[in-house]
Amino acid sequence: MMMLQHGSTQLLCLTASSGVPLFTRGASKQLPFSVIGSLNGVHMFGGGQEVVLSSCETEGGGRVVWRVFQDSVMLIAVSGGGQGSGGGQGGAGGSKEEEVRLQRLLENVWSCMVLVLGQDELTNVRNVERLKRDLRSCFSLIDQLLEDRQEGILGNLTHCADSLLPPNPTLLQEAVDGFAQASDSEFGCLIVHGRIAAATEKWWRLAPQEVVLLSALMRSLSASGSASCDYPVFLPQGSPTVAHRLLRFQLLPGADVCVLCGPTPSLHRAESGIVGRFWTPLVETLRDCLAVGERCLPPSVSLRPDVLALLLINRETRRSVSCVRTLTNHPLGDPPLPSKARCWELLKLFYIFSTTRYFTQEEALCVSPEEKAQRGNTEDFVLGFSHQPLQCYLVTEECKSYGLQTPQHQLFLLIPLSVPTFALRTVATQTLSDIVAAPGF
Amino acid sequence: MAFANARKCTGKTLSTEGNGAGEHDNDSFCESTSSFNSSDYSDDLEPEWLDDIQKNGELFYLELSEGEEEAALAQAAANRGVATNHVRFSEKEAEIITEQNKKQRCSSRTKGEPTLKRLARILRRKRRPSQRRGGGKDGGKENSNLSSPPASILKNQPGQRQGVTVQQQQLKEVCVYLNPKRLGGSSTPLSGGLLEALLGVVHRPSWSRGQGAPAEVTQEERLSVHGLIPNSPAIKCGQILIGDVLVAVDDVDVTSENIERVLSCIPGPTQVRLMLETEALVGSSSVGNTSSVRKTKGSPPVSQLVRLLWGEDTAELQMSIGHIPHIVMYLSLKLDSASPQDEEEILYQYPASEASGQLKGVRGIFLTLCDMLENVTGGRILSSSLLLGKQLVHVGYWKESNNLVVIGLPAERVPLLYLQMVVGDVVRTLKVMYGSLDSAFCKADHAPRLDHFFCLFFQQLIQPSRLRDGSSAPTPDVSGTLFLDGLPAVRWLTLPPEIKMEVDTVLSDFESSDFGEMSEDFFGLRRLYVILGSCLFYKSYLIANHLPKEDLLDVCLYCQHYCLLPLASEQRVGQLVIWREVFPQQRASSSSSSTAPGYSQPQGRHFLLIVGLRHFMQCVLLEAGGCASPALGSPGPDCVYVDQVKATLLQLEVLEAGIEERLNAPPAPCLSCADWFLPAAAARDRLVSAASSSPVFSKLAGAVKGSSTGYRGRSLFGEKARRSSPQRSLSDSGSEGQMDAGAGQTSLAPGLSPHSTPESGRRLVGRRDSLTSGGSDGSGGSGGLFKIPRRKHPNPFHLGTLKKTLTERETEEMYNTMKLTSGAENTLFHYVLMETVQGIFIAPTNREVAQLSGSIHPQLIRNFHHCCLSIRAAFQQSLPARGRRAADRPQGGGWGLGPVKEHGVLFQCKPENWTDHRKPAPTMTYWVIGRMLLEPVPQEFYVCFHDSVAEVPVEMAFRLSFGLAL
Repeated sequence: MMMLQHGSTQLLCLTASSGVPLFTRGASKQLPFSVIGSLNGVHMFGGGQEVVLSSCETEGGGRVVWRVFQDSVMLIAVSGGGQGSGGGQGGAGGSKEEEVRLQRLLENVWSCMVLVLGQDELTNVRNVERLKRDLRSCFSLIDQLLEDRQEGILGNLTHCADSLLPPNPTLLQEAVDGFAQASDSEFGCLIVHGRIAAATEKWWRLAPQEVVLLSALMRSLSASGSASCDYPVFLPQGSPTVAHRLLRFQLLPGADVCVLCGPTPSLHRAESGIVGRFWTPLVETLRDCLAVGERCLPPSVSLRPDVLALLLINRETRRSVSCVRTLTNHPLGDPPLPSKARCWELLKLFYIFSTTRYFTQEEALCVSPEEKAQRGNTEDFVLGFSHQPLQCYLVTEECKSYGLQTPQHQLFLLIPLSVPTFALRTVATQTLSDIVAAPGF
Repeated sequence: MAFANARKCTGKTLSTEGNGAGEHDNDSFCESTSSFNSSDYSDDLEPEWLDDIQKNGELFYLELSEGEEEAALAQAAANRGVATNHVRFSEKEAEIITEQNKKQRCSSRTKGEPTLKRLARILRRKRRPSQRRGGGKDGGKENSNLSSPPASILKNQPGQRQGVTVQQQQLKEVCVYLNPKRLGGSSTPLSGGLLEALLGVVHRPSWSRGQGAPAEVTQEERLSVHGLIPNSPAIKCGQILIGDVLVAVDDVDVTSENIERVLSCIPGPTQVRLMLETEALVGSSSVGNTSSVRKTKGSPPVSQLVRLLWGEDTAELQMSIGHIPHIVMYLSLKLDSASPQDEEEILYQYPASEASGQLKGVRGIFLTLCDMLENVTGGRILSSSLLLGKQLVHVGYWKESNNLVVIGLPAERVPLLYLQMVVGDVVRTLKVMYGSLDSAFCKADHAPRLDHFFCLFFQQLIQPSRLRDGSSAPTPDVSGTLFLDGLPAVRWLTLPPEIKMEVDTVLSDFESSDFGEMSEDFFGLRRLYVILGSCLFYKSYLIANHLPKEDLLDVCLYCQHYCLLPLASEQRVGQLVIWREVFPQQRASSSSSSTAPGYSQPQGRHFLLIVGLRHFMQCVLLEAGGCASPALGSPGPDCVYVDQVKATLLQLEVLEAGIEERLNAPPAPCLSCADWFLPAAAARDRLVSAASSSPVFSKLAGAVKGSSTGYRGRSLFGEKARRSSPQRSLSDSGSEGQMDAGAGQTSLAPGLSPHSTPESGRRLVGRRDSLTSGGSDGSGGSGGLFKIPRRKHPNPFHLGTLKKTLTERETEEMYNTMKLTSGAENTLFHYVLMETVQGIFIAPTNREVAQLSGSIHPQLIRNFHHCCLSIRAAFQQSLPARGRRAADRPQGGGWGLGPVKEHGVLFQCKPENWTDHRKPAPTMTYWVIGRMLLEPVPQEFYVCFHDSVAEVPVEMAFRLSFGLAL
């Protein structure tokens, strides 16, 4: 008898001091209260003995991860493991990825709660019932984070902003800058197909997690279909206690622009005046941008025909570009290529695989020391190397994966099995130089 | 007769009085046996290990060869100066269950033992209460004595008298190693009696009292040391000074009258505690000697490991890791809730120190999670991670019926990737040793042995360097041990066919159980044991195996746990005899469910006999029941079988020279050292100027670089590339020259000047030629020309550019070696090839690796092992679960990364201590690749090579296994 179906994740939120459940989200059936209570109980019991329980792993890839934020909110993520059972002896390899995924999830959920409600309300919990009610407004974002259904959005995992490289970046950049300035703000960005196409400089200077979350928020807001909205946000690292207004306007279906501003301007004034002034002349540019589509790369960048999927991260600016292609020239008789959804999944898994074992992340600077300590624990394996890993590759039965890291970039590729293994390196280095040459990255 | 005695101890009665241990010369086998017998079965009727057999029939007897044991005990004496709480002198009953060496022969025997022995034992027992009294005092005095090893025997030196304030009488304890056997055949007592002969102390009865004849012995005179005999234990220990008075021996007061009697009670080689009274000089240099001085005195070859196996120092070792959290617990999940007592659910726990206190306190977490998570996520719990203060601890679980084994280990020692493997291995070892976890943990009398077992386990994992303390082994590579021990395979040494055939023949002879006059059949007995198979280790390599794979792995797990393999390689083991009942996993599991028609395993009991002599070690698996007579009770080792194994080992000793030759042979396949691929620092500057001014070399450089990617050239050509683009030449993208690291090259440089002419350049080339020609003359040390000491085996594939006459094939044949990598140079650094059918793996021997010493190379090897941990985990995660749980086949690659066939990582390394800040440090890149091969034989292949030519691991694996004919 199993309560969690395969592959599904449940998220539990409780108060850290008293263990009162605040909410439970997840696709499958909710866990019974006794289980929730035990999960919280073991953590609190350990805490009483000065032992912090951080994670737990079961056969078949099941995982439980505990995390307490600001000593006031406890988040627990329970994952039911994969279909069938790939893990067995030494199965930690498979679910190490799962653990990283869940850790990320908890961080994101907490940040999202702070984003929506502000840190004050979460840390000084006076009225539990009111908090429960307020938390309902986070649910859409949290569900988005949990289900992770959106293909092509890896930012939650990588904590790098998913970007799209437009064919004519300078025009768009000017427009965004001007627009933000006209709205009495320094933070503005243009989101096309859920990815950032252009943004002001200050926007990029926000903590990567904030950028990712704001993008997620934008996606959920634009999914609601409204033409514009005014949403109060707290920046989890930038200003957790002081709210800003997020003004969002839909320019074209699939293209939205937003600014983070103070009390002025009002939504109506901005919508009627400023938006039109800056964006109407650029309709064609925007359409070109939309035409880039899922590829996220301008037509000037040509990819080699044997690249199945790629994820390129700029470590300095914390931006990433990712895409999955359908290869047309795949010869018949060869083993079939994995499906698009599977490619995204493999890309994510390979990313986690490489970064947990070989490629250290230089995390954002504004991570609190406590969080850094906890995150550092999952990277203990990397520290065991006396020499620095530069590249790695995997050959599985579905495809070949290649990952490389330079001081500026990280590139992860999926390549069909027909490509010989010794050629993988050339493919990777060439792809990297092709994309890096493109403007704007 | 010895033989009769031996048979008696197994509880069998003899129907005929066998004269088997006589002098029959039927065949060489018996001859060696009989000669062996006659030497050993002399007046001392029993083998030395007979006393160490414990109540349940188990035996763990380790005796180092003579010189080493003395050193061991000397060191033990030295260390005892510090007042630590040694638990070994406990107040327990004589039946001490922990494994001890014969010098603490405290196990009581029901056999009729000679009265001498009993007296000796009583003497020894008396030692205990006064242990504390003596040990605490004069620790400093002992230290001071130790710090001046060439002991100034004449303690009353005039020089020391100045500044002395007080002279006091002080008692000191000295431990001396006495070996009555060394008295030899001619045991005519010297004039000094045993005091002189055995101990080496000269005592002259007082002359001064009157002018009576020397024969007039006064009553009860104090034994003052008047002299010391050279090369005696008294002089060797360095603490007995002339003028000291011998007060007591093993806490038996001695005087001149009873000293002889007391000394004659000493039965065998043992350590004796002497109490001496001495005059101390206060104010002398007796203070300030730290234990570090003590440790550096001499270099005792005996390591901490041996002492731990003997059961000593456990408390000290435990305390040294007391700050690192670690624990093992056996918890019961079913509680009798009617009367819950405190800690009732803990069936076993180790260690009982503050290291485990916190973890023990939170055992509720483990129990709860184990109970609850199975229903929640659908799988049994495997591990948890906890933060204790600042330290991350990984806890592994193993649930069996209603009980749970919990093992907590620090994360920095055992990465989570490998925790499951470690836990699985421990559980399997325990099952092999005790049959089931319940029987291991739940019997009360197993507790001390389990304590020792887990002490070894934690020491090996947490501070392995401490165990190597005092021995000559290099610092252990933690990842390496984790990786190699975790492989389901044993390290194999390939031997030349002639030697292999002989080894196999000798083993087969033994396994045929044809003992001639020593066999049970001769005495009309039913055969006692069936020999199921045996395997033979030389140093730490497996050289012959006649056991089925699963049994081999079981035996190997046991040997690994007790560190028997490094023991044989480092120490010269005088004698090692181990006997215990084992429960091999593949035989145990089939015993319950044998309802299938046809053959089924016989219901029997299995025993493991391990005998080690010097560097050889043979493990034999015996079966009682089935064909042989059933074993009743807890039988101890049968002397005849032990002797037969010893005889086999003695026979094999003639092959030792051949095996050593194999170990000293140049490595096949050829290995390169990582430092050779790193450009050297100093020499480069001078060579740059040489290259730049010599047109000859630019032409050559051009020609060479055209053919291959330039690494075939020497440093000069590397500099050539440097001239074109300074940045790129320093990074290793194939334009590296072949350079010897560091010092080796500087001898080239003096010959060059900045304005070198082509002649000098040619001279340089000529020199290089002579290097290679020197190399081709023999595989001896040809590097003398360039003072490259490490080049004992010049790599024949490091050819100078001008010596292109030999093709690869010819080179291979000439040097009887093989090149595994493609490309012109040999770029192979290291490899491990594991063959899963036979359960063996091959890797470069330790000696080969040591010969390639460099500064980067050991680091590279460590890195290689660490990476292999990750690669292997990637392979494991995708395979269907074999081993402990029921196999759940992965369904169609829908989860996880899918089955991984090949995984490789590219590393970059730089030399440490790069002092030249003007230029960036040179780098070298290399690959570590792991490949799973399923045909023709399931294999796992891990290889490390320099990143110059792309390699195909499948080809390399094929070449390797083909060339070595595994």
